[in-house]
Amino acid sequence: MLRPQRNEFRRLLATAALGLLAVTACANNSSTTTTTSGVIKIGILSDCAGDFGSFYNDDIGGALSVLAAHYGGKATGSLPKDGMTGAKIAGKDIQIVGFGCSDSTANKAIEETRRLVEQLGADILIGPLSGDEGIAVANYAKTNQPNKTFLNGISGAQEATLKVQAPNFFRFNPDGAQWSAGLGSYAYNKLGWRTAAVIGDDYAFPYTSLAGFIAEFCAIGGNVTKRVWPPLGTTDFSSFVAQLPTNVDGTFVGIGGAGLITFLKQYQQANGAISSKHFMGNLFWIDPQLLTAIGTPLVGAVAASGIAADDTSAQTKAYVQELSVYPATQKDAASVFTLGYWSAMTALGMALTSVNGDISGNQKALQAALAKIVIDGPYGKISLDSNRQAIADNWVTQVTPPPAGSNVPGLKTILQIPKVDQTFGGFFSSSTPNLDRSNPPCAKKTPPPWVGNEVPVNFG
Amino acid sequence: MAPGILLALLGVAVVAWIAYNGVQNGKLFWVVTLNGITLAALFFVVAAGFTLIFGLMRVVNMAHGSLFLLAGYIAFTLQGTLYGVSSNLLSGTPATVVSWIVPLVVATIVIGLAGVLMQQVFLRWNQGQDLRQALITIAISVILADQMVAHFGGIAESIQQPAAWPDSVTVLGVHYGFFRLVVVVGAAIVIGGLLFLVIKRTRFGMIIRAGVDDRSMVSALGVNIQVVFAGAFLIGALLAGLAGVLGGTMLAVQPGNDSAFLLDSLIVVIIGGMGSLGGAAIGSLALGLVSSYSNVYLNFGTTDLTNYSILLTFILVVAMLAVRPLGLFGRPA
Repeated sequence: MLRPQRNEFRRLLATAALGLLAVTACANNSSTTTTTSGVIKIGILSDCAGDFGSFYNDDIGGALSVLAAHYGGKATGSLPKDGMTGAKIAGKDIQIVGFGCSDSTANKAIEETRRLVEQLGADILIGPLSGDEGIAVANYAKTNQPNKTFLNGISGAQEATLKVQAPNFFRFNPDGAQWSAGLGSYAYNKLGWRTAAVIGDDYAFPYTSLAGFIAEFCAIGGNVTKRVWPPLGTTDFSSFVAQLPTNVDGTFVGIGGAGLITFLKQYQQANGAISSKHFMGNLFWIDPQLLTAIGTPLVGAVAASGIAADDTSAQTKAYVQELSVYPATQKDAASVFTLGYWSAMTALGMALTSVNGDISGNQKALQAALAKIVIDGPYGKISLDSNRQAIADNWVTQVTPPPAGSNVPGLKTILQIPKVDQTFGGFFSSSTPNLDRSNPPCAKKTPPPWVGNEVPVNFG
Repeated sequence: MAPGILLALLGVAVVAWIAYNGVQNGKLFWVVTLNGITLAALFFVVAAGFTLIFGLMRVVNMAHGSLFLLAGYIAFTLQGTLYGVSSNLLSGTPATVVSWIVPLVVATIVIGLAGVLMQQVFLRWNQGQDLRQALITIAISVILADQMVAHFGGIAESIQQPAAWPDSVTVLGVHYGFFRLVVVVGAAIVIGGLLFLVIKRTRFGMIIRAGVDDRSMVSALGVNIQVVFAGAFLIGALLAGLAGVLGGTMLAVQPGNDSAFLLDSLIVVIIGGMGSLGGAAIGSLALGLVSSYSNVYLNFGTTDLTNYSILLTFILVVAMLAVRPLGLFGRPA
């Protein structure tokens, strides 16, 4: 057979298809199931690939730092992923069975959760990172593992707690909408926006993040005229940039992770510089890693999250000090990723201490203790509602020009939105439609309770 | 032929829908069309190298995307270390023409040589065993992807275009990115022209064309096919490297781009037919326009289906395989 035939081309195509499958499916088959005795086994799940892969060490580092600072944990390497040994809570040895490495997709998160819980025998899981992953893990906790305990890492889709309501899934971080509290009012009342467009990645977290802005902005009287949803992982945003209307007062950007840099670059190429009076962003705009990568184009713009980056209170200093075991994580102390995993491990440590390390009886005592935990966190108290979802303060922050000799902008916290809850003062409930590309609708009604009651702050 | 008629009807409906929307908002239509064309230009540079290797050597080089991404990282690193260009997005030290061209040339050459090395070490001794070769190149791509994440991190980086170049040009009343429209499309046209000349007008090109049709006969005629293979791999890898720097400047350098552009190259080759330069050009244009239009026009009043736009590129592939299993310009013999 000397000449290439149709069959050969087909075989090559089949080979290529098989190859792609092999590249995307990366199986993990190590299996060591053991039973629990005097040891409490913890698995930590984050993303090491995909749009949020760069937050891997911030996440794991945030959690492990708590063990090092309070429970005698010793780092076995300079990076969090190198592991930690020797921690004891209430006399019980804490064993970190492994780190889950997901890629922001629900499938991969479940695959890694199963590896940590079913194969490596974790009693307690901390994680995941991203919105769709959080919904999947909460469902897994409720349906497959009712007798184990799950503490969310930093995923922020509303559905994971408000809708799934797994009795053994605890989230000590606000969801995306809570993190946007205060921005709709700021846009309407301070920036004078009456019409706005929104753009966000096409999955559960940005739906939630933008829902917080839309609900508040529209309740006061604003109108959101266009919603654009590029898929997560988009590299060419030009066609989505082209769809953003120019006849609106402002645009709210909910593109996260690696995509934000690509989006802003392509927006600038198409439309010129970003005007801080006509743009607003969600928590990614003020994340330390992204702020460093993006630089000065965002100066003047306002965003919000559960962090007051310039707060220098004793509480904040103590938190930053706790992270000193991992300098790279400490540098990103003012990142929700670090704070979220830190909060989860802090709550777990407090709860385990209060039940004397007892995880027998299907962990029901531990879960009851967790539900009552109040964390005295670096940026305010964090407590849980009846769906085991955090109630916390939110902070509206402005990006300021870089200090002399640097090209990384600074941050100035301008407003405190106290005690934001997941229902957004009654906007969302277990019976409201799931947030998606068109929900919530834009409707004028009684604004959330904090509108007009924001607390101006100045940390100097 | 029923599937043909069905597809033709579908095609007419799609064109009519795009035309209707184009009339409604001409400016958006023009921008989206330019997006598709500029994206196609980038696809063409990547896929031209892929199709050359695929067509001549029957090697499905699954590491082609990794070479593309690695080139971007090399150029990005060189821009920072050699010239102190800030990695901040459009702030800090700006790039000059020299500090863009030099990293481009170095990265392209390094990737070209890396490609030849890969071919000599991993693919020379197992010629004709497609499955084994595909698996080896997959292994290389997985290893490279992990090493790049470990070394460069997960945050997207961008190669800065020279500050002296304008940000945008005005075409038919629309401001459009200068780099995308002039540099990337220009590069694709120049490369397409050069490759055309090499393949149609030189002895080396003649051997490549003969090799695509019948390797064994070319070998039997006394041509040292090993040298030809190495040459083809060099050109293919050079193109991946060049595209990586162009793509890193036009879009971004980020994990995941390797598999994304590998998939795009495969689609282009399936549409255009393996080993065909003209096929790669038309395949790229089809893919670029379809993905660009579907991101915007898959929107029917209140029903917004743009999140299914990725499916449309696969429908394009399915349609092509149904009507012309060898691609537009693929030849059975």
